[in-house]
Amino acid sequence: MMGEAQRFFQFVLRRPILRTAIVLSIMAILTILHLEITLSRLGDAASNLVIIAGEAWPPDFSVLTNRAAWAYPPCEMQTDWMCSPAVLGMTQTLEIAFLATIFGMAMSLPLAAAAATNLSPPLLAQVVRQILAALRVLPSLIWALIFVILVGIGPLAGVLAMTMYTVGYLGKLQYEALEGVSREPLEVARAMGLPRWQIARFFAIPEAANSLISQMLFMFEYNVRHGSVVGLVGAGGIGWYMQYYLEPFKLYDRVLALVIVMYLVVIIIDQISLRVRSQFIEDDEHIPRPKWRGTIVPWTESSDD
Amino acid sequence: MNSEPILSIQSAEIGFEDSRPLLEGCNLEIRPGEIVGIIGRSGIGKSTLIRTIAGLIRPLSGDVLFSGANISHSPRGAIGLIPQRLGLVQHQTVGYNVLMGALPNSSWLQSILSLPSAEMRDTTRKAIAAVGLEDKTLTSVNLLSGGQQRRVAIARAMVQNPQLLLADECLGELDAETARDIIGLLKAIVEDHGTSILIVDHNPVRARTFCDRVLQLRGRTIIPLSEEEQDETTALPQYRGDE
Repeated sequence: MMGEAQRFFQFVLRRPILRTAIVLSIMAILTILHLEITLSRLGDAASNLVIIAGEAWPPDFSVLTNRAAWAYPPCEMQTDWMCSPAVLGMTQTLEIAFLATIFGMAMSLPLAAAAATNLSPPLLAQVVRQILAALRVLPSLIWALIFVILVGIGPLAGVLAMTMYTVGYLGKLQYEALEGVSREPLEVARAMGLPRWQIARFFAIPEAANSLISQMLFMFEYNVRHGSVVGLVGAGGIGWYMQYYLEPFKLYDRVLALVIVMYLVVIIIDQISLRVRSQFIEDDEHIPRPKWRGTIVPWTESSDD
Repeated sequence: MNSEPILSIQSAEIGFEDSRPLLEGCNLEIRPGEIVGIIGRSGIGKSTLIRTIAGLIRPLSGDVLFSGANISHSPRGAIGLIPQRLGLVQHQTVGYNVLMGALPNSSWLQSILSLPSAEMRDTTRKAIAAVGLEDKTLTSVNLLSGGQQRRVAIARAMVQNPQLLLADECLGELDAETARDIIGLLKAIVEDHGTSILIVDHNPVRARTFCDRVLQLRGRTIIPLSEEEQDETTALPQYRGDE
């Protein structure tokens, strides 16, 4: 018996994957114990889910037709559906995402050029990289909380929050794209004696233009998705309307309707963005064109479709 | 011909590490309007020499002088470079790439606003016409053949109008006819503007044919061709611009 246990022990020790799995499992169990996670809580969650699902279903699509008299900022349109929570919230979310992407792009591009080691002195590049990293440390939700405190609730806080995060995130993608451009055009410009800003403006940025446009569109997609989250803390957008129904009314059926509207709009934006971005991806003959089916139900589309 | 050299390399060590220079004891003088060819086997340091002269790499020791002053203080736009892979801005048009040659002469405001003067646009149009690409002005350089891309790089150099043009293997593996056309364009730059050209070419016969002087990189330094080598590299008529 002892011999068999010893052999099993040696068998496990010889296999790195098993060793890693055992260590990770022990760490996970210790963490669960430390966090005092109990299975009974999962049972509570399941019963709560049944209650919420019962209250949420069927979704109340009156959020698409009824005027939101309490809308902020107030809606001046005459037609009720145009002032409905879903339309107002989604429009605001798109507007916040659009402005944040435009402002973020305008701010991040010069910062990215300053952070690219092939365009800037090493010291400046390091300093700007640290600034971009600092902007990325806080998620957009925390930025939204900060700006709601600074400028009050409403879309302005959302735009500022998303812009800050966009600068940090897009700036990193952009300086990596700029560092990836071919060395030779930059050397031609340096041999001409051009200053760094002209090298970046006329050689590096146009050379990386496809990547930069693709990244900007990706960032817009990202901002649309996250624009709904920042609303939960009062920074405007559809999230703000969801929060209104959740607390204190707990109108889950209306929240579910808003979630469905948001889902549909996000997949439409994703699809448009994918199609536009595919025009800017180099050597894209091996990349399959995006399909509607794959976006709506991703697991139905095989990789070689 | 003016006797003052436009480029003077004096006892220079060239490379990336002090302990292991690629080239040692390099001496070279190029005078205005002169076409000098440099040949040498692959990996010997021809491109590194060109990049050093372009001011992109500092010499490990010795001097690289442009009109008597350190190369790093050469006037803006005085040195033009056509690298091995031409250094064109990809996905941009022929017109855009050629116009880039005018940047050293543009004002700060023109650059900021991306508004080239009428003179710059005119010079660009003429350079594109001179290399025979008028109908490709709005075509992306990616869609051009290798020979056409070389013409774009030469048109950019024409617009820049440098005092010294450095061409690193810009004839590449071109067929004889296309190479002859490109050589004709380079000679036109010399005749029209008195530009000096330092050209690196792996083909000694071709270099000997169109250069005023051909040197070689051998034994980690720059040396002239021996008499025997000069005989071996008798000019071939297919590379003559005046054929």
